[in-house]
Amino acid sequence: MTMFHFFNCAILTFGPHAVYYSATPLSEYDTLGTSIKAALVYLGTALVKLVCLATFLQVSENDGFDPYQELLKALIGFIDVAGLYFALTQLTHRNISQNHKFQAVGLGWAFADSVLHRLAPLWVGARGLEFTWDYILQGLEANANLVLSISLAALGSLIWLRKNKPKTLIPIIYACAGIVATMPSITSYLRRGLGWHFPKVVGFELFTSLVMAFISWQLFSACQRPST
Amino acid sequence: MATSKKSGGLRDLLEPMYSVIALLFILVACVELCDAAAAVDVYRLIQYDMSGSPFGSRFAALNHHASSLRFPPGADLSRTVLIIPLRELNITFVREYITQKKPLGGLLFLLPEVLSFKHGGNKQVHEKEKMKKLLAELEQLLVNSNIPYPVYFAFENDDIDTVLTEIKKNDAMGQPATATTGGYKLVIPTAEPKKVASPTITNIQGWLSGLKADGDANQLPTIAIVASYDTFGAAPALSVGGDSNGSGIVALLEIARLFSLLYSNPKTRGRYNLLFGLTSGGPYNYNGTQKWLRSFDQRLRESIDYAICLNSIGSWDNELWIHVSKPPENAYIKQIFEGFSNVAEELDLKVGLKHKKINISNPRVAWEHEQFSRLRVTAATLSGLSVAPELFESTGGLFDGRQYVNETAIFRGVKLVAESLARHIYGHQGKDVQIFADESSLAVNPAYIRSWLDLLSQTPRVAPFLSKNDPFVMALKKELADHADEVNVQHENLEGIFTFYDSTSTRLNIYQVASVTFDLLLLLVLGSYLIVLFCFLVITTRGVDDLISLFRRPPSRKVKTA
Repeated sequence: MTMFHFFNCAILTFGPHAVYYSATPLSEYDTLGTSIKAALVYLGTALVKLVCLATFLQVSENDGFDPYQELLKALIGFIDVAGLYFALTQLTHRNISQNHKFQAVGLGWAFADSVLHRLAPLWVGARGLEFTWDYILQGLEANANLVLSISLAALGSLIWLRKNKPKTLIPIIYACAGIVATMPSITSYLRRGLGWHFPKVVGFELFTSLVMAFISWQLFSACQRPST
Repeated sequence: MATSKKSGGLRDLLEPMYSVIALLFILVACVELCDAAAAVDVYRLIQYDMSGSPFGSRFAALNHHASSLRFPPGADLSRTVLIIPLRELNITFVREYITQKKPLGGLLFLLPEVLSFKHGGNKQVHEKEKMKKLLAELEQLLVNSNIPYPVYFAFENDDIDTVLTEIKKNDAMGQPATATTGGYKLVIPTAEPKKVASPTITNIQGWLSGLKADGDANQLPTIAIVASYDTFGAAPALSVGGDSNGSGIVALLEIARLFSLLYSNPKTRGRYNLLFGLTSGGPYNYNGTQKWLRSFDQRLRESIDYAICLNSIGSWDNELWIHVSKPPENAYIKQIFEGFSNVAEELDLKVGLKHKKINISNPRVAWEHEQFSRLRVTAATLSGLSVAPELFESTGGLFDGRQYVNETAIFRGVKLVAESLARHIYGHQGKDVQIFADESSLAVNPAYIRSWLDLLSQTPRVAPFLSKNDPFVMALKKELADHADEVNVQHENLEGIFTFYDSTSTRLNIYQVASVTFDLLLLLVLGSYLIVLFCFLVITTRGVDDLISLFRRPPSRKVKTA
């Protein structure tokens, strides 16, 4: 029953992306090209991050939380944000409304992230006879990541694509974007510094992703009011 | 020309690609085997045929769920492996299962860690006698039955203990592990065991020449000292035979060393030749000894005054036995026995004489001296055992490890044999002369005995699994060559009525598996989650009408065509 388990974990990890694409108007407007381009941009960003990490980061002996190293990792994490900026602004899209653009970019981004980080461990590990909860938790993490990526793309599009924003909301937008961008550092601090176990960390990620999605949805609809 | 060059270049480019792809495939295939909950070294029960009848465990591969002894009564065990630690072993239960041929997926016996020669070390064994008796009974039962499923032995360690407690907990809740209820799965992925092609037995003999006076045309008389070095047990990878017959080998080597010291100087060389024999094939009715004797020149055989066979002299307290097949009234036997008794008195130990007639028609040879007696050579066996062992009894079984051998017993045995032989050779019978006195240059060396005993207690020596050039056999030959003038090695085939099968030790993987119901449940949950997600997204982004319209489309098409 090991291929069965692999199949289960695979649909948990990659299913929501497909469901999101088919359920929302993205499929009607045929934004697949945008998503694929966003995925490729993610690959490029990942490569650049890898090179930077390899050059600047020192491998620590113990699994503890080293603030300096984590700060460095967070700075390198901002390359992610740069990649997202590139995907949102520089790629030539067909005439898609801004609403759908950020969704397509976020979707492609999250899908590439899942494939790169979770497909190989899933293929190697979930097919064995030995049963662990790890792969199911990993799938839940992929779901949280999807929501976070879409929120980040939304906030990003608000920051860079929308020109007339209510003045009061701008700091909130930047603050939320900052929080979402530094999520990886926060989770690694929780795991290493506070010693939280994997299920707890995944639960935290799911909760925060839902909260951030709600906040960014509210911000987005608030910014949309002047133009309608 | 150009195209072939181009295709050649392309081929060159693709070649490293092929190796990379192949490497990737291998990696992908291999990695899935390394994630077990526990991996343990296990040793298989011996599998052999005797005169065509099969004995032992006939299978090696294992892929079943595990269960402990607390399984619910009436459960179907034909696809379950029973894990039985030795302290919970109920021999009547096992005997019932085997003799009544009840279906079982497999048996895994857990032996206490002290018995392991890799990790046990020299720790003391609690309740030695009880464990020895239990193991001997279990071994006799397993070795003499035909078992149609795999039987393995393993040593207890922390991993397997935790697994066993978990299994016991599950069994107590009335849920034996099957494909639908999860639990632990034991997997041993070996191939089917194959016959060992023409097993060889190797006899090693060492010759110490005596002092031949000038003008003496007759051949000097010879005294032979023999010990068999191979073992047989329920788990051939664990049959180290500390007492049977490691003690005999060690004693023989020490006696050879002492006499080689004496014989190195022509002034102290005796007028007897000494023939040392390390024979193989002991458990199989001393087959090796028989072949060795048959290979002798008639003159050599006739020149043997007598032979002393050493067998299990490592675990006795105060009494040693001399077993003979010629009647005790025989002059030669009397002489030998008196010689030994005199020395024994001085060393403060007892020696008894036991007579067992040979039955020529019975192929069973219980003692090594019987092979000599069948060829009319006077011989006796010195042993700590008082009763003749049955076939495959006292041949180095599961309990016969380092803990069951006593160095002091071997020390005293060596002294007894060496003194008695020396008195016979140098004609000091009845005189109170100590040749191998303690503190002298000819003292028996306890360190030598200890180091060889330690080595032997870590070397399993079942003859069919020892190749012709096995390093241990070579080591014995080299050691004997250090002490003797001339060493010969004789390779023979083990007699045809025995056939052995390989695959004696392997690695067991224990996996914790989830049941099929769990997987199905998970699939159900995930399916409903995705459907709910889908509906939620449709409702929030397109509106409820769109969702309803998704289900209404097929009927509307039918209306159109109609």
